Amino acid sequence: MMIELGYFAVITALMVSIAGIIIPVAGLWTVNNSLIRAGRQIVTVNFLLISLACGTLIYSFLMRDFSVKYVAMNSNSRLPVFYTIAALWGGHEGSLLFWTWILSAFAALAAWIHWKKHPATIPYLIAIESAVTAGFLALIVFLSSPFERIFPAPSEGMDLNPLLQDPGMVFHPPFLYLGYVGFSIPFSFAMAALLSGRLGEEWIRSTHRWTLLSWIMLTFGILMGGYWAYYELGWGGYWAWDPVENASFMPWLVGTAYLHSVMVQEKRKMFKVWNLFLIIVTFSLSLLGTFLVRSGILSSVHAFANDPGRGVYILIFMSAVLLFSFGTLIIRSNLLKTKIEMDSIVSRESAYLFNNLFLLIATATVFLGTLYPLLVDTLYGTKVTVGAPYYNKVFMPIVLIILILMGIAPMIAWRKASAENIRRNFLIPLIAGLASAAIFAIFGIRMAYPLIIVFIACFVSATIIIDLYKTSSYWSSHSGVSLPAGIYKAWHHNQRRYGGLVTHIGVLVLILGIVGSSAYKLEKTVMLKPGDEFKLGSYSYKFLGIQDAAGINWRGVEALFNVYEKDRFVAEMRPQKRQYMGGSQMPTTEAAIEPRRMGDLYLSLSEITEEGWITVMAFQNPLIHWIWYGGGIMGLGVVLILFKRRRRDS
Amino acid sequence: MKGWHVAIIIALIGIIGLFYAGLGRDPRSIPSVLVGKEAPPFSGPDVQTGENLSLSSYKGKVVVLNFWASWCQECRLEHQALLSINGQFRSHPDFVMLGIDYQDQPGDAIAFLSSFGSTYPHVRDIKGTIAIDYGVYGVPETFVIDRQGIIRFKYVGPIMGPVYSQMTEQIIRPLLEGREPQRS
Repeated sequence: MMIELGYFAVITALMVSIAGIIIPVAGLWTVNNSLIRAGRQIVTVNFLLISLACGTLIYSFLMRDFSVKYVAMNSNSRLPVFYTIAALWGGHEGSLLFWTWILSAFAALAAWIHWKKHPATIPYLIAIESAVTAGFLALIVFLSSPFERIFPAPSEGMDLNPLLQDPGMVFHPPFLYLGYVGFSIPFSFAMAALLSGRLGEEWIRSTHRWTLLSWIMLTFGILMGGYWAYYELGWGGYWAWDPVENASFMPWLVGTAYLHSVMVQEKRKMFKVWNLFLIIVTFSLSLLGTFLVRSGILSSVHAFANDPGRGVYILIFMSAVLLFSFGTLIIRSNLLKTKIEMDSIVSRESAYLFNNLFLLIATATVFLGTLYPLLVDTLYGTKVTVGAPYYNKVFMPIVLIILILMGIAPMIAWRKASAENIRRNFLIPLIAGLASAAIFAIFGIRMAYPLIIVFIACFVSATIIIDLYKTSSYWSSHSGVSLPAGIYKAWHHNQRRYGGLVTHIGVLVLILGIVGSSAYKLEKTVMLKPGDEFKLGSYSYKFLGIQDAAGINWRGVEALFNVYEKDRFVAEMRPQKRQYMGGSQMPTTEAAIEPRRMGDLYLSLSEITEEGWITVMAFQNPLIHWIWYGGGIMGLGVVLILFKRRRRDS
Repeated sequence: MKGWHVAIIIALIGIIGLFYAGLGRDPRSIPSVLVGKEAPPFSGPDVQTGENLSLSSYKGKVVVLNFWASWCQECRLEHQALLSINGQFRSHPDFVMLGIDYQDQPGDAIAFLSSFGSTYPHVRDIKGTIAIDYGVYGVPETFVIDRQGIIRFKYVGPIMGPVYSQMTEQIIRPLLEGREPQRS
């Protein structure tokens, strides 16, 4: 009975959210406060209803009720409880429900938090959020219900896809969804601003935290996906420019552009249309991500379940969102004229503008690469694939430009930068960057990208250090305290700025990890019998033999290796092949990863013959953990901004 | 109307139109370099009886070649469809259906066939050498070979839904009746 209750709850939620589109706006137009207040109850009720629906599905999972089709398809009785709960978003139907649940939670939160401050825009916000929720609920109710039963009920379920039975995969989708869905709040605020005609800076100020939070969640989601691919898929890499990976990367790129350009509007009241455009594009790309994965128009390792019927629905839904939001923007654009013009091409606002342009060019590159196969197929009927070489060639130069702008923009003056300002801020960093690149070149780094990246990293870090030093010594002399206390004061007075700079350092660390691990990667595939040895880099690997391994719901084999560096034993490594005991019998690879100071040693077992020979892929990935550290530092930077204390005087 | 208004409208129409056109297509039907080429010969032990089977003994017939494995989830999904294709055409003297059991444990393969049923022979390909000759990079993949031994069609992924009728009506039936298969 429970699951029928859940189904009933989503049907009710669908009707409630349709009411949520109409009632608050009607209240606003007829100046009826009780109708407006009803809007707040509606989003709350919606959240409770969808929570109930998720709850009944989780309950059915935990009760191992295999008469529920979704439960039978995505779990079995041997599946550990942790993964049984995570199976909620393990398949198509459940992940849509989960997406909608996060959406309803955010909508309710936003309505309550911003209720007092924005009485004129909240009704629109509720209407927009309700419309998006209704769109997803209709998809769930009519085309992708996780509440269906099967008859006769199987005595045992299939299994959760073994690839998903992994902590990384349990957290990767929720973080992505938090990012995607989070952007719906700034989007709704932007639409509310357009619809109500209140196009000042207030919508940007009130969505600042939402934007940052969504952005960092999306960042973590993408990085977790990369980390999962790295140790679970066994090919030694973390990013393959797969269409679905691209789908999560595009909103990230545009979201990053938006995050920066809103600051120009806050400080200089410029870029008004531009900011609206960016947030609409960001949220549309989040929806496009859903469309790309679920419609089956692009071939991808991620396309677990395709159905053209859903594709048509999502296409209609997405078209409605696109036409409505861009249409409103176009119609309202006459309200958005600003008289402020750029004073000089050498200024912070123009640095932000270039940052935006290049981020958008980067997005367009990914967009074209992702959709080119579809375009060619549609026009000429030929199949092509766009692979990593295209992206590496086209994308890398754009990234370098963005990184250089990342060093310049925070340090250059608003309005018009004087020659003095530029010399003072950039001469020493320029020398520092060139000098360190030269030193690396002398020590044998000969490839172009690594050298350029070293230059950029040192240039940008130097601008940050010099800036912090100058500001702190100003504060220490100004209020007569020591330099460390001055650093604290500088920090305290401009936490948002320094939080941002910490995030920039995180980006640099991450890029160093990417360049280091791709430019200096070593790899080798070898066939071995017990007792054999092979060398890779300065390490030698001795294959001792194969042994059995087992977990709660899997059995498998592992190959035992001893690793030596110059005859000194450094590690034991055990790459595994696992066979999960559920209905799905796909073998999975568990790479053995040994972090060393300069990078990871990585072994992945690809084949075992009956005679006891094994084929193993060995990689050495220098600096690869810098990617994950970089993500951590970016997170820290965002936390510092989010927890900044509000100024008492403002 | 300003310039950027027009640009946005054109971009929107273009993207939506592209997706609409793309919806009817199937990204999984990847043309193989082998399509139009002669099918690589092979031979190997029958999964169930162990006797030697070889492609050359089916010369002059239309052969449907299906690569599968017991550990492959999608192979389970398409199995009924394969049995039904065989059932539909096996009365025709020139029709042959052949499975290739790819990188499998013999015991698992036999258990798979006995629980899901089998009406046609399967060749064991433990080392995956036949699959390498055919450029298979995952199971299931299905090839259709004509009477002259030329590969005429390849499909990556399970034979389900519309692919089933495309396979039977546009490829296999025309080939058996001596007509050209329809290109879709």
